[in-house]
Amino acid sequence: MTPTPRTQQRLRDAAGLPAILDTAYDAFEDMLLAVRAHEDPAGGLFAAFMMAAAAAADGRDALGFAPSLPPCHSQDRPAGDDPARAGESAEASAAAAASLSRLLMARLAEARTSSSDPGDRAACADAIRCAETIHALLGGSGQ
Amino acid sequence: MSSRPVFGDFLDAARGHLGTAARLRRTAGREVDIQQVNRSLLRLVAVMHRYVQDATPGSVPGPPRGRRMLTGWARARAESREALSNAMGFLTEPDTARPQPPAAAGELAGHLDAVSAALAGGRDLLSTHLGTDPRGERELRSEWALTVTSPAVGRAVLAEMRSLARHIAPLGAGLALAPGPTGTAEARQNLNAACQWLWILNSSVNAAQRREPLRTADLELLRAIPASALPPRRLPAPAESVAGLCQGVISSAERLRHLSWASGRQPAWSPGLTVNSLRRIAATSTLTSHHCEILLRSLAARAPGNVPAGHTAGLLHAAEAAGHTRQDWIGVAHALDRVTTDTRLYLSPDADESADLALWTGRLAYANPDWALTSGPAHQPRPPGTLVPTPAGARLVVAAVHHACDTLTSLGYAQREQIRAAGAAQRILVTTRSLPGKIDIPHPFAPALPGRIQSMISACEQTGHSAEQATAHIANIAAAIRAPSRVLTAAREAANPSHSSQPSPDHTAHAHGAAESQPFAGEDPELPGPAERTLHDLGITSPELLQRGATIDRAGDQLIIDAAFGLGPSRIRPSASTLSRSADTATLVNHALASGDPRAAALLYSPRSAEPEPPQAEP
Repeated sequence: MTPTPRTQQRLRDAAGLPAILDTAYDAFEDMLLAVRAHEDPAGGLFAAFMMAAAAAADGRDALGFAPSLPPCHSQDRPAGDDPARAGESAEASAAAAASLSRLLMARLAEARTSSSDPGDRAACADAIRCAETIHALLGGSGQ
Repeated sequence: MSSRPVFGDFLDAARGHLGTAARLRRTAGREVDIQQVNRSLLRLVAVMHRYVQDATPGSVPGPPRGRRMLTGWARARAESREALSNAMGFLTEPDTARPQPPAAAGELAGHLDAVSAALAGGRDLLSTHLGTDPRGERELRSEWALTVTSPAVGRAVLAEMRSLARHIAPLGAGLALAPGPTGTAEARQNLNAACQWLWILNSSVNAAQRREPLRTADLELLRAIPASALPPRRLPAPAESVAGLCQGVISSAERLRHLSWASGRQPAWSPGLTVNSLRRIAATSTLTSHHCEILLRSLAARAPGNVPAGHTAGLLHAAEAAGHTRQDWIGVAHALDRVTTDTRLYLSPDADESADLALWTGRLAYANPDWALTSGPAHQPRPPGTLVPTPAGARLVVAAVHHACDTLTSLGYAQREQIRAAGAAQRILVTTRSLPGKIDIPHPFAPALPGRIQSMISACEQTGHSAEQATAHIANIAAAIRAPSRVLTAAREAANPSHSSQPSPDHTAHAHGAAESQPFAGEDPELPGPAERTLHDLGITSPELLQRGATIDRAGDQLIIDAAFGLGPSRIRPSASTLSRSADTATLVNHALASGDPRAAALLYSPRSAEPEPPQAEP
């Protein structure tokens, strides 16, 4: 499986700090599930996936401490995996995760700038670092 | 193994200086001042006494009457302490209660001082692993501390002290009885009497070794104990050689073991305990386990000619166990996905170092000289032929994998303890966002339920166990090919005697050969007896005649020892110094004591020496 295009679209469409935090939280969670699904020791991306999974969990947790994060998931969160994306290759999944992490970096940077709450700003900064790590790990996977 | 100084470095330095002093003794003339030698020997014996004190459990010696109840090594420790204490008594000048004389001017005494300095340095090295807490109790300061304080290392220390005493005694007694050196009769008698007590130490430890042989592995372990200072952090250079990569793996594994030990001891409230560190360690340890599996399979492919026949299967078993360890680490990583901690995004030093170990092992395992954790797909394992070109190369690679797996074991159990402590302090949290929407919890996180924490503890326990299994398989290979990492096995067994294997005949140090794997250069500690020496003085070289002389000397020894032993403890007898007042008598007594017969101690024990030894303050 790969991070779903719907997650990416939700993140792109999110408006306002709580919505960005909420969808970013879900995006990290989706990336975590996606890279975990491909952690095959025989695969060439094993090391990158293992490290990216840890960074995805760290990014999700960082946003969990943001004061403006809604206490519950928003109603439009996709339920379960997108069956159309299951069965894709590890390389495709890595590329999708890298793309999503780049979008995360951009949206979280916006959120950090827009927030006046130091807790939100710190959470966004921490999560951006995690997204950067994921991008560094998986961004060159096609090479 | 690494760039850190080890105890053996200091021991070798001491032996080297002692060997030089012994050679100088043979040609000693008027330039040698016996009083100066006595002062230097006092310093040396005082250091040895401190070693034996360190190796003695508890700090209060039992009375000699209680000592009769002791057996084996415990008795040897008590007798060695008393022997060294008595030797110090003879060497201490009456007017100076705690003398601090200037450094010796003579060459021979100077070498004795150098022996003292080297031994003191070695003791300081061992002490770096221990400290004292604010309540004055002994505190462990490194992962080596339990090994340093173990009975096995204590026995090895005693064996080394015996080896030193066995070489110092003929040196000192030879000077005391030789006509050349300058000195008063009293100074000579005191020097000789002190050396006689060193022979007693030799006999006592010898008797213990006969009863309960020392393992060669324990002597090697003592020599291999490093200073607790960490080797410097290093990352692989481009195109690092296989040997360089192996050394890098070993050094990183040593650093990580220490850092992990330190992390495992931090209190539950420590802000340094974060889920991020735990996750990083789980992820990188998964990779290290995977790399170990690759390396072990490559080793198995190159086993013929590099590893003794029959060990190929062992390598494959080890590879399989490393694979299990990898899967178990993945399980730990998955468990950590679902929790967090109240402090975040701090990476502990062991988390950083565990990434280094994954990088070092990856560089060794893969053909790509620039392999990194971010490397893309299609990296091939290093061809076995380039990994292990020679048997020596196999030893180094096995040592590297052995160190890595041993460290993975430490990490697994350290994570277990950290999670247990953090869980008990309610610092392991779960998000409330994942709960159904109708459950209204105003906080984003809540303490994890005990069942979840217990399952994480179990996962870490299982991981530690798997890594331990892999380590055990590799330890067998390391022992078979005499890889330098074999001391790890001895260290684990010493720190946890319940894991000890029974010593096999091949692995016990022979009573006379123990602690003398590094011989003293050119010095034979055996004294010729009076008959044999007279034959030498006559220029006799016939082996048959010399052998007859030695036989007569041994018979004389036995006569004297039997007679002294038969006197019984209550019989009043002359003191040791009285007995050695005449040079001729001293020669005979010395030779009897040098025989190593523990009953020869009866020659020296007098009612005075049966009193408890006075307490010795640390200088």
